[in-house]
Amino acid sequence: MLAVRRSRLRISDLGHRTFFLLACLAVATIAVAADPPKPTLESLGNKVQCTCGCVAPLNQCPHFDCAQKAEIQAFIKKEIAEGKDEPAILQNLAARYGLRVLSAPPARGFNLAAWILPGVGLLLGLAIVVVIARRWRRPEAVAPAPVAVHDPKVLAAIEEEMKSVDGIR
Amino acid sequence: MNQVGTVALIASLALAAYGVIAGAVGGKLRSPRITRSAERAALGFFLMSTLAVVALERMILGNDFHNAYVAEHSNRDLATFYKVAVLWAGQEGSLLFWTWLLSVYGALVVWQNSRKNRELMPYVVSVLMGVGTFFSLLVFFVANPFQELFVTAGGSTQAFTAADGNGLNPLLQYHPMVIHPPMLYLGYVGMVVPFAFAMAALITRQLGDNWIRTTRRWTMAPWLLLGCGILLGANWAYAVLGWGGYWGWDPVENASLLPWLSGTAFLHSVMIQEKRGMLKVWNVALVILTFFLSIFGTFLTRSGIVSSVHAFAQSGIGPFFAVFLAIILFFSVTLLFLRLDHLKSENRLDSMVSRESGFLFNNWILLALVFAVFWGTLFPVISKAVENATVTVGPPFFNKVTIPMGLLLLLLTGAGPLLAWRKTSFQSLRRNFTVPLVVALVAGVTLFAAGVRDLYPWMTFFLAIFVAVCVLGEFWKGARTRMRTARENFAVALYNLTMRNTRRYGGYVVHIGIVLLFVGFAGQAFKSDTKGSMQAGDLLRIKNYTLHCDGLTSGETPNYEYTRALFTITKNGEAFTTMHPEKRFYKASQQPTSYVAIHPSLSEDLYVVLAGMEQDTGKAVIQVFINPLVMWVWIGGIVVLLGTMLAMVPSRVEREMAEQKKVQSPGAEVRSRAKHSPES
Repeated sequence: MLAVRRSRLRISDLGHRTFFLLACLAVATIAVAADPPKPTLESLGNKVQCTCGCVAPLNQCPHFDCAQKAEIQAFIKKEIAEGKDEPAILQNLAARYGLRVLSAPPARGFNLAAWILPGVGLLLGLAIVVVIARRWRRPEAVAPAPVAVHDPKVLAAIEEEMKSVDGIR
Repeated sequence: MNQVGTVALIASLALAAYGVIAGAVGGKLRSPRITRSAERAALGFFLMSTLAVVALERMILGNDFHNAYVAEHSNRDLATFYKVAVLWAGQEGSLLFWTWLLSVYGALVVWQNSRKNRELMPYVVSVLMGVGTFFSLLVFFVANPFQELFVTAGGSTQAFTAADGNGLNPLLQYHPMVIHPPMLYLGYVGMVVPFAFAMAALITRQLGDNWIRTTRRWTMAPWLLLGCGILLGANWAYAVLGWGGYWGWDPVENASLLPWLSGTAFLHSVMIQEKRGMLKVWNVALVILTFFLSIFGTFLTRSGIVSSVHAFAQSGIGPFFAVFLAIILFFSVTLLFLRLDHLKSENRLDSMVSRESGFLFNNWILLALVFAVFWGTLFPVISKAVENATVTVGPPFFNKVTIPMGLLLLLLTGAGPLLAWRKTSFQSLRRNFTVPLVVALVAGVTLFAAGVRDLYPWMTFFLAIFVAVCVLGEFWKGARTRMRTARENFAVALYNLTMRNTRRYGGYVVHIGIVLLFVGFAGQAFKSDTKGSMQAGDLLRIKNYTLHCDGLTSGETPNYEYTRALFTITKNGEAFTTMHPEKRFYKASQQPTSYVAIHPSLSEDLYVVLAGMEQDTGKAVIQVFINPLVMWVWIGGIVVLLGTMLAMVPSRVEREMAEQKKVQSPGAEVRSRAKHSPES
C-alpha cells in the first residue's frame, strides 16, 4: 500500500515537473531568440524590406538592377562601416524610409503588441490546458474498485478488450 | 461559349440555393423524398459547375480572345499544358474552379452516403450547398469569367476580339505550378465536408462517434492535399523565385499553413474523443476553426487587404468574404453553444502523464502556432487601423516566434506516442525514454564537438534524433514482438505490424516525415552565398566549388526569349557537373523571369541563378547559393504524404472486425438503416 502511494506521489510530482520543464523550455527558447545578432549586409538584408514594390525582403528582391535595393544596401554598408550596431542601423533605416522598410515591427509602442501577444497566447494556452487537465483529473477517491484489480480473470478480459480496441485505433 | 457558361452558372446557382432550402426542409420534416431532392440538386450543381468549367476551358484552349478572362490570362503560343492552368490563374477563373471543386466534394459526399448517415445528410447537403450558393453568387455577380471583351470608341462600346492575349504570368509557367493550385484548393475546399458534418451533427443532436468517424477520413484527405499543395508551393518558390529559399512567411503562404495546423490539431484530438469520449466541444470547435481558416485564407489571397507576391489583384471581393466569414462564425458558434449539453465528456483524465495529456499539449502548441501566425499575418492590417502606420511583419518576426514553438512540437512528436493511454508509470517512462535520450545526448555532444554550436540548429538535430529513435523504436519493438509470437522474419513482421494498425503506424511514418522536415529546416542556418559578374572564362568560387563560365547563349521559343549561362563546375578540384541557369523574357506578358539551375544532393544543393546582364559590360550577374539539407524538406514532405495515405488505408483488424460483424449478423445493416431512416 505504501509502495502504491509512493508511486502515485512520484507520478504526480513528475506531472508538475513536466509542466515546469515545458514552461521553462518555452521561456528559455524565447529568451534566447532575443539575442542581438552581429550586423552584416547579409543579416540585415533579411531584416529589411525592399521598397520597390516587390513585397520581399531586400535579399529576396527579384528585380535585377533594382535602384531602391541598391540604395538601401549602400546605406547599410555605410552604417556598418561607421561601426553602428544592428538596432541603431535598423532605427536609422526606419527614420529614413519609414517603418515599412523593416521586415519586423520594432518592439516599442503599439508594435510591442505584435511581439508580446504570441508569447502571451502560448502561456495563456498552457494555463488553460493545465486548468482543464486539473479539472478533468479523476478524484483520488473515485479509484477503481479493488475487486477489479485483484481478479486476474477480469484483468485478462479487460486486457483482451483493450487490445482489440487498440488494434482498431 | 460565353452564353453556355452563363446559363450553366445561373443553373448551378439556382440548384445550390434549392439544395440549401430542400436540405433544411427535408431534415426538419424528416422527409426522405425532399432529402433525396436536395441530394439530386447537389448532383445537378456538380453537373452545371462542370459545364461552366468545360465552357471556360474550351475558350482557353481554343484561343477565344473575345472572352475578357481568356484575353487577360492566356496567349496563342502558350503550351497546352499551361493553357489548362489558365483556369485558375486569375480571380474569376479560380473562383469558378473553387466552386467546381466544392461541387465535386458535394457529389462525392452524396454518393458515399446514399445509404448511411441518413439523419445527417439533409443538413450536410444544406451546409455544402450554402457554401456553394455563396461562391456561385460571387462567380456570377462579382467575378464572372464569362464576360465579353469590349472596347470603347467614340462614346460607344463594342464587342472586341483581341488578336492575342496578354499571356499567363511567367512565374506560373513552371511544371509543379500547374498542380500546386489544384492541390491547395482541394485542401481548402475539402475542409467544408467535416464542417458540414459537424453542423449536421449539432443540428440533429447526433453527437456520438458517428460524425467523428465519418469526418476523420474526410479531414485527412484535404489535410493531405493541402500539405501537398504547400510543399509544391515551397518547391515552386525555391525553383522559380531565385532567392535561394522556399518559405518566406508571405501572408498567402501563411494562409495555407493556418488550416493545415488547425487540421493537424483536430486529427490528433479526434483520437481522444474516439478512444475516451473526451474533448467533444473542442473537436467541434477545431472543425469550425479549420473551415473558418480555409475561407479566411481564400479571403486573404483575394481581397488585397495584405500585400503579397502571391495575391490576386486587389478587388472588391473582400467585403463579401468578410460577411460570409461573419455568418459562418455566428451560425456555427451559436449552434455549438446551444448544444453544449450534448457534448459532455464521457471520461475524466486519469493522469497528467498520459497519452491524453500529450494530445492536450500537442493541441496547445499547434493552436499557439495558429494564433502566432494569424496574428503576425494580420498585424499590418491592425496596425494600419489603430495607428495608421504601415508596418511589415516578415521572416524575422515569424522565425523568432515560431521556431521555439516548433521545437516544442518536435519534442512532443516523439514523446507523445510513447505515453500510454490513461496513465504512464514512472517505470514505463524510464523504459521508453532512456535509449532515445541517451542516443540523442551522444549525438548532441558529437554535433557540438563537430562545430554545430548555434542553439536552434543544435536543438533541432538533438530533438530530431530523439524523436527518430522514439518512433523507430516503436516499429522495432512491435516487429520484435511479432517475430517472437508469430514466428515471422523481421520484414514480414514489420509489414504485418503496420498493416494490422495502419492508423497508428501511418501516424508514426508521418512523425518521421516531420523529423526529416525539421532537419531540412535546420539546414537553412548553414547556407552560404556569393555573387559575381562573369563572362566566358571567368571563375567564381564558393566553399569547395568552383564555377567556370563556358559562355552565354541566347535563343527563343514561340513563347519566350532566353539567355542561358553555361557553367562547368568542379568540386575540390575535380570535375563535378555542368549547370545552365536561364533568364527568360516572356513575349506576351513582357515580363522577365529566372530559371534557376539546381544540383541537388542529400547533403546540400548547389543553386545557381542568372540574375541579369550588366548593360555596360555585357557580363552576366551570377548568384550562387549552397543550401544544406534542402533535399530533406522534400523527402520529409513525401514521407508525411505517404504516412498519411497509409493511415487512411483501413487496417487489417478493422476489416476483420467488419467482416466478423457481417457474418454474425447479416441483417444488421438493413435493420440499422431502417432504424436510422427519418421515416421510422
